Amino acid sequence: MVAPVEPKPGGTLRNAFGGVLGFFILLLIGVLAFSIRLFSVIKYESVIHEFDPYFNYRVTQFLTKNGIYEFWNWFDDRTWYPLGRVIGGTVYPGLTLTAGTMILNSLNIPLSVETVCVFTAPVFSAFAAWATYFLTKEVKGIGSGLTAATLLALVPSYISRSVAGSYDNEAVAIFALIFTFFLYIKTLNTGSLFYATLNALSYFYMVCSWGGYTFIINLIPMHALLCIVTGRYSSRLYIAYAPLVVLGTLLAALVPVVGFNAVMTSEHFASFLVFIIIHVVAFVYFIKGILSPKMFKVAITLVLTVGIAVCIAVIAILVALVASSPTKGWSGRSLSLLDPTYASKYIPIIASVSEHQPPTWPSYFMDINILAFLVPAGIIACFLPLSDASSFVVLYLVTSVYFSGVMVRLMLVLAPAACILSGIALSEAFDVLTRSVKLQVVKLLEGPLSNAGETKDENSTAHNDVLKADKQVATNNKTEDVKERPSKKNRKKDKENTEKAPVKYHKEKRLLVLPLEASAIAIILLVVLGSLYVIHCVWAAAEAYSAPSIVLTSRSHDGLHVFDDFREAYAWLRHNTEVDDKVASWWDYGYQTTAMANRTVIVDNNTWNNTHIATVGTAMSSPEKAAWEIFNSLDVKYVLVVFGGLVGYPSDDINKFLWMVRIGGGVFPHIKEPDYLRDGQYRIDAQATPTMLNCLMYKLSYYRFVETDGKGFDRVRRTEIGKKHFKLSHFEEVFTTHHWMVRIYKLKPPKNRMKGKAKKAKHTSKPLSGARRDGSTKRNPWQ
Amino acid sequence: MAKSTSSDVLTLIRSLRSAYAATPTNLKIIDLYVVFAIATAVIQVVYMGIVGSFPFNSFLSGVLSCVGTAVLAVCLRIQVNKENKEFKDLPPERAFADFVLCNLVLHLVIMNFLG
Amino acid sequence: MAKMLFLPLFILLLCSFECESFSAENPTDRRLLVLVDDLAIRSSHSLFFKFLESRGYVVEFRLADDPKLALQRYGHYLYDGLVIFSPSVQRFGGSLDQAAVLDFVDAGHDLILAADSYASDLIRGIASECGDPDAVVIDHVGYAVSEIDGEHTLIAADDFIQSDVILGEKKIEAPVLFRGIGHSVNPASTLVLKVLSASPSAYSASPKTKLSTPSITGSTIALVSVVQARNNARMLISGSLDLFSNRFLRSGVLKAGSLNKHEKSGNEQFVTEISKWVFHERGHLKAVNVTHHRVAELAEPAMYRINDDLEYSIEIYEWSGSSWKPYVADDVQVQFYMMSPYVLKSLSTDLKGLYFTSFKVPDVYGVFQFKVEYQRLGFTSLSLSKQIPVRPFRHNEYERFIPAAFPYYGASFSTMAGFFIFTIVYLYNK
Repeated sequence: MVAPVEPKPGGTLRNAFGGVLGFFILLLIGVLAFSIRLFSVIKYESVIHEFDPYFNYRVTQFLTKNGIYEFWNWFDDRTWYPLGRVIGGTVYPGLTLTAGTMILNSLNIPLSVETVCVFTAPVFSAFAAWATYFLTKEVKGIGSGLTAATLLALVPSYISRSVAGSYDNEAVAIFALIFTFFLYIKTLNTGSLFYATLNALSYFYMVCSWGGYTFIINLIPMHALLCIVTGRYSSRLYIAYAPLVVLGTLLAALVPVVGFNAVMTSEHFASFLVFIIIHVVAFVYFIKGILSPKMFKVAITLVLTVGIAVCIAVIAILVALVASSPTKGWSGRSLSLLDPTYASKYIPIIASVSEHQPPTWPSYFMDINILAFLVPAGIIACFLPLSDASSFVVLYLVTSVYFSGVMVRLMLVLAPAACILSGIALSEAFDVLTRSVKLQVVKLLEGPLSNAGETKDENSTAHNDVLKADKQVATNNKTEDVKERPSKKNRKKDKENTEKAPVKYHKEKRLLVLPLEASAIAIILLVVLGSLYVIHCVWAAAEAYSAPSIVLTSRSHDGLHVFDDFREAYAWLRHNTEVDDKVASWWDYGYQTTAMANRTVIVDNNTWNNTHIATVGTAMSSPEKAAWEIFNSLDVKYVLVVFGGLVGYPSDDINKFLWMVRIGGGVFPHIKEPDYLRDGQYRIDAQATPTMLNCLMYKLSYYRFVETDGKGFDRVRRTEIGKKHFKLSHFEEVFTTHHWMVRIYKLKPPKNRMKGKAKKAKHTSKPLSGARRDGSTKRNPWQ
Repeated sequence: MAKSTSSDVLTLIRSLRSAYAATPTNLKIIDLYVVFAIATAVIQVVYMGIVGSFPFNSFLSGVLSCVGTAVLAVCLRIQVNKENKEFKDLPPERAFADFVLCNLVLHLVIMNFLG
Repeated sequence: MAKMLFLPLFILLLCSFECESFSAENPTDRRLLVLVDDLAIRSSHSLFFKFLESRGYVVEFRLADDPKLALQRYGHYLYDGLVIFSPSVQRFGGSLDQAAVLDFVDAGHDLILAADSYASDLIRGIASECGDPDAVVIDHVGYAVSEIDGEHTLIAADDFIQSDVILGEKKIEAPVLFRGIGHSVNPASTLVLKVLSASPSAYSASPKTKLSTPSITGSTIALVSVVQARNNARMLISGSLDLFSNRFLRSGVLKAGSLNKHEKSGNEQFVTEISKWVFHERGHLKAVNVTHHRVAELAEPAMYRINDDLEYSIEIYEWSGSSWKPYVADDVQVQFYMMSPYVLKSLSTDLKGLYFTSFKVPDVYGVFQFKVEYQRLGFTSLSLSKQIPVRPFRHNEYERFIPAAFPYYGASFSTMAGFFIFTIVYLYNK
């Protein structure tokens, strides 16, 4: 029913109007993308979420305080004690630099670092939606672009990583990813060096932001290769690809964390290989262009013989390079991408992170919802007229589906692809359906003549179209009454999709006229589907993905409970311990401890040193005395454990404990996983193994736990604990938060005197050796 | 057989030369420039083979500056080539401006990376 | 110490207990509390107490079961040292008990404890912190013949610990007369030292009862031992109260089987020297003025860079009883430590208490510590560590303009020049 608002000959005014409308729609999409991510601020407060964002926050603070050069050279001695960490050289600076410049540019508006950090992600998700619009527009026109942008603004997978407060690399990286793809497609379509330069710069920004840039540097060569193989080579492809590789590699090497990896690791070799291939192909085409066909044949035999020899040599060199580098040149994370079982087999520390696990089917539904069903239709739509751009989108989708199947985290990469394709599918479907409706309605109306006068023909004024569009919205609203404002906008955009059916396909599409009833029903169904998606997205944004995980809430019959134990504990550490005290905890809490408590930690979420983490894991899984020795040798003063047994907080240290055992046992073989399992089962009740009941983690978690309810009932494991009454000999409890979620212990100093009794001699000999090993604080018996 | 091959090669070279003679001068200038860049790159690679890759960043920037120059020049050549139908609506002035911009970025990066 | 504020984290674990136990500003007028069973000991052991008083101690005698007995008031200890010469007391009077005595030691104060042939459970309990008291020591070979003593419980012991610090530089020639119980020392404990051991022929048993297999025999029997706790508080445990008595101090001694009759027993010298040690008049070290800086700089940096050359110095003094004297030794070492010592160097001394060295920071970054661990027999332990981060090169600190890279520079610039020439030629060609 909606007449296209799109550039038809004779309508420059309409054209302009369409442009303005499109602009406002885009603006609204941006507002939508921004505002749907503010649930976390409204429901909780303006805090930074989770773990990594705290590190980024701390880095940003440092950056704004000390400037970029200090940041570049920052050696942080407050983490990874005593190794320290070269932050400037190991961090992807894109996010922090972005936020830092935002702070610096806001000279007139006083913004705190934290505010900027909290709102960076929503702002960039609006940018990402716009980038999606441009990308899809390049592929399939404005209508698809607007649909895709709307879908992306709402897609739960992306919301989960970019709600206000989740100040993480992915927040800006997704924008950079989509924008780089857009510029690549743009270059491919125009063949302009200008866009190629922008593309390289955008790629540089992506490299700065996220390790996922390897996805780009592999996907684009794959696409170039695909084009060459399918005979779609054009000089535009050359212009899009070759400068990107050279400039991109150079720019990537400028980022300290990448450095020479940009040319040394095999993640990047694919691009070089394709770079060579594309030159060969370009040369062949060039020769072909200037020679007669007969001569060309002669030339080709010649070139082939020479070329094959050269290729073999190059490949041999590459293979030698790859084989000579350790781990065959691939980093563990990338290897686990190619072989999903790699990590669980060899690197427990990668496997231990939940977001590195393969996703389950429900998580697909949760994260991309109906897009999963629309994507196949989108692929078909892309193939109908297969262009370079649409083949690129399809390739992007296929690879990202594979990667998301390997790691939950990479669902994030899939989301834009799914949005683009679903946007195309939805838009095409609406296009076909509304056209068929329109044609038939026109036919119907032309019979009894136009009594209303509003439905004249395609040349009706733009004003009218909008009216109609709004009307359509109104009628649709009746069908489903669960409508909110964003969904309305969404619908409107869906209408708009039809506006740009590319002119040249218009004729052939006229053949695709469907029966009126069928298309009307289909439209309604699609609208219902769209609104279901919107409802799901709003729910996901409001409920599922807004929890900051630093503050927890739970609803029970007597109202809302807020668990603010983490901040309580960190505040305690900040105010009650010495500035240079070292706090040991499992690495999950390292970033938060440094950022919020400002205390030195032994390990943190930047898991760069497996041995160090294994040391902490070993300490946690050792008996008290051995653990004391390990911690004392690391100058640890306080040990922090997270315990959810009292309130039923499931991701506590006891539940993570098996990973500590595994990671510890991977380096220190005296820690054996079977010792902690009874018949292959992990349990903490009376059936648990003595090793389990005597390990430090158990003791620190359950110390005095029986005093809470008299039985020691663990609400996470739903069982009574195995060992209830025990004393700590080498640790003393110094602080336990309100809900017992964080418990802080202090290492007792070595005994001032030693019992002289021979009977106890064996007993006391152990701490003595600890004292010898450490020797830093107390008397070291050397004589 | 061998004779026919060699004669083929000869005719090939001859026809190549004649075909190339038809290219406009500005394209020839570009070709010269490309050859210069590639030659510089090859010299550097050979030098690296002799001396070793110690200041790797310098080597990288040296070689990549040449390769980049060559690639960009080839791009320019593609764009300003009048025979190329793909870029009919792209004025050569615009193409050259893009080329200059691209080169500026390239050399800025090279300068940054050289030291 | 003001620098403790930020990145340079100086942990100066310089025996912070020192101040409590031992005030350098006011080393005299130290107060000792002597607990006795019977005030007669005051006269029977007067020589020993006179030594103490002559060295500036204020000695206060109390009956061990005095109901007004208290070691501390308002959280402050009233005494600097405690001498328990009351082997038979079952319960102390007042607020004093075994735990209070041990707390007194843990607070860094010194203790002399003497048992006798009879020692109450209380005394044994305190002594068990150091050794395990056993029965009376009998030695049928090494007994002192000066006394008619059929049970051979009076021993002439001459198996001293070889330490100038504990027993003074002058060798004790005459054997020490001892009558009392022996104790065993926990061999794993490194805090306890046997100052006076029994001879190999000694055994510990009750002379009255029939002989059964003695629990400890020979030189494992400690007659007098000392403990230096980790906080450097010192304890002396003697199995014999008579050791300190005027009678033993004065009497001559002839060890059985020895022809050499000594006019005077070694007791006097022994108790004098050992009490000097126990009350920190000897073997007490302090380390001050720890400094480190880069070579040719004076200010202490907050952070070193890898491969920096640095100088480290420390001053060590020993308390001589009246003043701090430079401590001279050639075995003081400093470690540059991060999980393991990367650098271990002996410090050279200028004989005026200053120890110094210089070394190169290893090519490893991280948070290092300057550690001085000085533990020598009889001396208080010096254990200092000072934290200092070592950073890698900054980005602009790497070598620049490497000759080997000149061709690359040349190539880069030649392409740039080529670009200019090309531009000009190309533009004018039209």
